[in-house]
Amino acid sequence: MRADAGAILRIDELTVSFRTDSGEVPAVRGVSFELAAGEALALVGESGSGKSTVALAALGLLGGTARVSGSIAIGDIAVVGAGERELQRVRGKLASMVFQEPATALDPLMRVGDQIAEVIRNHDDVSAAEAQARAVELLGHVGLPEPASRVRSFPFQLSGGQRQRVVIAMAIANRPKLLIADEPTTALDVTVQAEILDLLRRLAAENDMGVLLVTHNMGVVADFADRVAVMTDGRLVEEGPVDEVLLRPQHEYTRALLSAVPRLSVAERPAAAGAAGAAGPAAPAAPARERYVEASGVSVSFGRGVRAVHALRDVSLDVAAGETVGLVGESGSGKSTIARAVLGLIEPDSGSVRVFGEELRRARGRRLRQLRAGIGVVLQDPVASLDARLSVAECIAEPLLVHARGLGRAERRRRVAEALEAVRLPAAFMDRAPRELSGGQRQRVSLARALVLSPRLLVADEPTSALDVSVQRTVLDVITELQRELGFACIFVSHDLAVVQEFAQRVVVMRAGAVVETGPTAVTLSHPETEYTRRLLAAVPVPDPVVQRGRRLAAAGGAA
Amino acid sequence: MSTLLQSTPELAVAAGPTGGSLAWRRFRRNRLAVIGLAVVIFFVLFCFVGPLVYHTDQTRTDLHAINLAPSAGHPLGTDAVGHDQLGRLMYGGTVSLMVGIAAGLLAIVIGMVWGSTAGYLGGWVETVMMRVVDAGIAIPALFILLVISAISTPHVLGLIVILGLVSWLVPSRLIRAETLTLKNRDYVLTLRAFGGGHTRAIGRHILPNSISTIVVSATFQIADAILLVAYVSYLGLGVQAPQTDWGGMLSQGLDAAYAGRWWLIVPPGVAIILVVCAFNAIGDGLRDAFAVRGR
Amino acid sequence: MATTLFILRRLLQAVVVVFIVTIVVFCLLHSLPGGPARGVLGVHATAQQIAQFNSEQGLDRPLPVQYVLYLGQLLRGDLGESFTLNAPVSQLIVQRLPKTLVLTLAQAVLALVVAIPVGMWQARRRNRPSDYVLTTVSLVLYSTPVFFFGLILIALLTQVIPVLPSQAPSGDTLAQVFSDPAGLVLPIVTGAAAMVAVFSRFMRSATLENLDEDFVRTARAGGSSMRSILTRHVFRNSLTPVVAMLGYYVPVLFGGSLVVEQLFNYPGMGLLFWNAAQSSDFPVLLGCVLVIAVATVCGTLLADVLQAIIDPRVKTTRS
Repeated sequence: MRADAGAILRIDELTVSFRTDSGEVPAVRGVSFELAAGEALALVGESGSGKSTVALAALGLLGGTARVSGSIAIGDIAVVGAGERELQRVRGKLASMVFQEPATALDPLMRVGDQIAEVIRNHDDVSAAEAQARAVELLGHVGLPEPASRVRSFPFQLSGGQRQRVVIAMAIANRPKLLIADEPTTALDVTVQAEILDLLRRLAAENDMGVLLVTHNMGVVADFADRVAVMTDGRLVEEGPVDEVLLRPQHEYTRALLSAVPRLSVAERPAAAGAAGAAGPAAPAAPARERYVEASGVSVSFGRGVRAVHALRDVSLDVAAGETVGLVGESGSGKSTIARAVLGLIEPDSGSVRVFGEELRRARGRRLRQLRAGIGVVLQDPVASLDARLSVAECIAEPLLVHARGLGRAERRRRVAEALEAVRLPAAFMDRAPRELSGGQRQRVSLARALVLSPRLLVADEPTSALDVSVQRTVLDVITELQRELGFACIFVSHDLAVVQEFAQRVVVMRAGAVVETGPTAVTLSHPETEYTRRLLAAVPVPDPVVQRGRRLAAAGGAA
Repeated sequence: MSTLLQSTPELAVAAGPTGGSLAWRRFRRNRLAVIGLAVVIFFVLFCFVGPLVYHTDQTRTDLHAINLAPSAGHPLGTDAVGHDQLGRLMYGGTVSLMVGIAAGLLAIVIGMVWGSTAGYLGGWVETVMMRVVDAGIAIPALFILLVISAISTPHVLGLIVILGLVSWLVPSRLIRAETLTLKNRDYVLTLRAFGGGHTRAIGRHILPNSISTIVVSATFQIADAILLVAYVSYLGLGVQAPQTDWGGMLSQGLDAAYAGRWWLIVPPGVAIILVVCAFNAIGDGLRDAFAVRGR
Repeated sequence: MATTLFILRRLLQAVVVVFIVTIVVFCLLHSLPGGPARGVLGVHATAQQIAQFNSEQGLDRPLPVQYVLYLGQLLRGDLGESFTLNAPVSQLIVQRLPKTLVLTLAQAVLALVVAIPVGMWQARRRNRPSDYVLTTVSLVLYSTPVFFFGLILIALLTQVIPVLPSQAPSGDTLAQVFSDPAGLVLPIVTGAAAMVAVFSRFMRSATLENLDEDFVRTARAGGSSMRSILTRHVFRNSLTPVVAMLGYYVPVLFGGSLVVEQLFNYPGMGLLFWNAAQSSDFPVLLGCVLVIAVATVCGTLLADVLQAIIDPRVKTTRS
């Protein structure tokens, strides 16, 4: 630990609990740590660990239902017990904050320049014109192109990354000594995430600003932090320099957490432009297996006329029996849209989608129902995927009720129990309500529903991205094992390259509604042919601080 | 791996109270709503059971006992044709409550069918259906009711139908919006992807999940319908004498009120306000309990 | 550009709605006992007179043809003749409509001026005694029939403490109506009361919702005081749904004018309509319904445009 004199944030025995309908719920139980000026400390943990509560408590931003004890000091100002007036003088001046959701963090009805000016004028008695001029300067400083005109934009006119830059501009407007960033890149695409982390790093260095980075992403930790503090269940279980904690974790929980993180295996240095050709022939031509999915020339647009959005342009996709194809890309790439077109949920404007050798659009009645019985679906949101009014058994039995109407009640329950067992859930879960299950358990119930008809094809649209890493690991393990047992083909949509690398045999990289490149995962993700895939891969931070440092330097060198 | 699973609480929600009892607990905490429920129960007993205990003649006039001030024999006095006012309050209340509740329920049923059909089908069918709703809303209900009153004077059943037919528009908008969100829920999409039909989507998922919206909306609808019954009587479209309802008592008592016979208008006026308040308060309580958005 | 497109699309929708309204009114016209002939000739016309009238006016032709003829009449501004007032319906309406518009506008302005601050104040004092009292008051106001509330006001303010006249000013021109402002107080207050109740409740919940928004937290993290957050951010964001609600409330306001005008003898559309209903003057009744519906559509349209001006997102995101 550093000398106390340099500490900009000092938290001692912080305990927070919330009053709720069902009594007092503890969120943070006796957390202590310090952050030195100019230092970057990552506070990591899974959902419910209390890390965000600590961040909000540091600026006194917890709601009225929170009870806080212990002490928090920013510089020499005590936060716990301070009055609202006193806190207002600290917030945005000495310490400020960047939040997770750039979509909602800004007032939708106010021009971004005015929002930045507001923070400036909260602490500095300058004219409105002067504040506006400084807002333009700040926007330029955080790397927003054309700051002079963007200053008059409304938030909805900016992209997610741009909005986050505006939030950061607000945070640094008065050159604070402490910046608290609560999952600042979680809602962003991976390439944007890299840019935002670079920006934060640069700003911290310029102002000798201490950064408390709250995150669940070990790659981000490795990329950004000097020190790491690991939280679980409201307690701090391990703290130390980033190299120590990530490479030689001491606490059992940290070790388990790190082992659950999917790791993108990358070349120590990003492959040079010419390397792809030298990678040798692509994977041996697969034996002519039956093609389960043949989509060719699929185009989809939403809306009409000038307002039409082209979600897919001339996309082709093949999936053979038993194979897993990963669809990767950033938001707006069309990866979910093509999956939905294969499911028949979206009618393409042109092109053809053949499933099990049959044109989906032409199939009618019985035949269509038969085709659909062969496809299982798992979607992203564990809460929205199951109807809260039904029991787990009723959720899983629904495909049986649609396709195997002759089944007796007892037989149906037997099939449901089998499906539950297949996804490693006890049969006793049958009569529970989805609400009583955790996110990971719910996703396994969704999987059981998808597999209850023994489909030949599983379409999984970001099935684990709403889950914590340890839970993601179990769900992925279950899918892998079942696939080995049952041999279904799988379309796996994900924004997470590491997961796809681990999971899929073939990968399709998409961008802006079109396929960028496609090939065997091992080849494409280690020796990409296109600049875009290379950039995408380079932007993914790996949870090894030494390797990540090397990649960053290499990327900086390459850029220079 | 297993150690990790054990040491990580997956945010599992303990098997707590079921949705229904949770909602009831939240409802009970809203004091106004509980009072509202008590008021409704009181008035239902008062109007439907009251006459069994407190006997009065509400069909024949008694010219020897007109316009009597409240006294021991007539706790709320008598009206211009000698009806006992307390008994009349019970008698009129049955019509107000019955018509109000039935019309409110009729409105919600029509609105439910119309709104969920439009929302689920989408496309041009929805556009046409919702423009029809816009057009219906554009003509204020009171105007339509007055035109109808100039054409004919309906009986209780006709009144219910007419009130139901002018009140379903707003609920249909609400339920359409609800259907729109529900039909894009992941579980409905999943159902469609594995081949489930529209009937199953609507019957099994969309309607059951919009039930809380429907119940809340129905409560407000009943409150509005009871008010509307009063307006209708005031405007002269009410039930025919010797039948009456609270709104009718109010409008007949108006002139008497200027002559100082307050007991002819205060009781029915207070009864209307109390019952409508009660239903609105119950609606508020239910909305908070079910966490339904909007009025 | 986006605004123009948005307004154009709304305008088109409004035209469609008005078109449907004409069909409704046409159907009402034909559901009259004896049909439109009875409407024109009055209740006492004989069957023979009606038959003669029908063949003269082409009313024995197929309904679609008649509807087209009816539309043609409307486009020429011909709404028929009042047989009790012996004047063209359009002329009567042109005389009365401005007075109703002035009255309802005054009610709306008064209601918003009271309701918006009250709602915000309640949100700030959420779950304290003053909030409960105001919530109960607005519940009672909302649940009181307008005519009963008006009667109470009349009794209190013209009889018990006689400070105001119980009759609204009469007269054919707006100037005459305005010549006696004291007489306008009760009609305006009576009509505004229920609206105050609805909008203060609405403003309260909109404010509470917005206080929970992320941007409030961002502003707090930037050192803004609660008061400046309320006035700069929460107020404007809560106003958007209130303006949208205003659009929905226009028909309720017009419906209320019927009762208020009758109660205070205010010479607007409502009173015209009320009197026409008493004498079964169908051309006036149906003409008024049509005009009120068009006025409602216009009012809703206006609220939409207003919303598009306040909220830059509306025109791009709403379909």
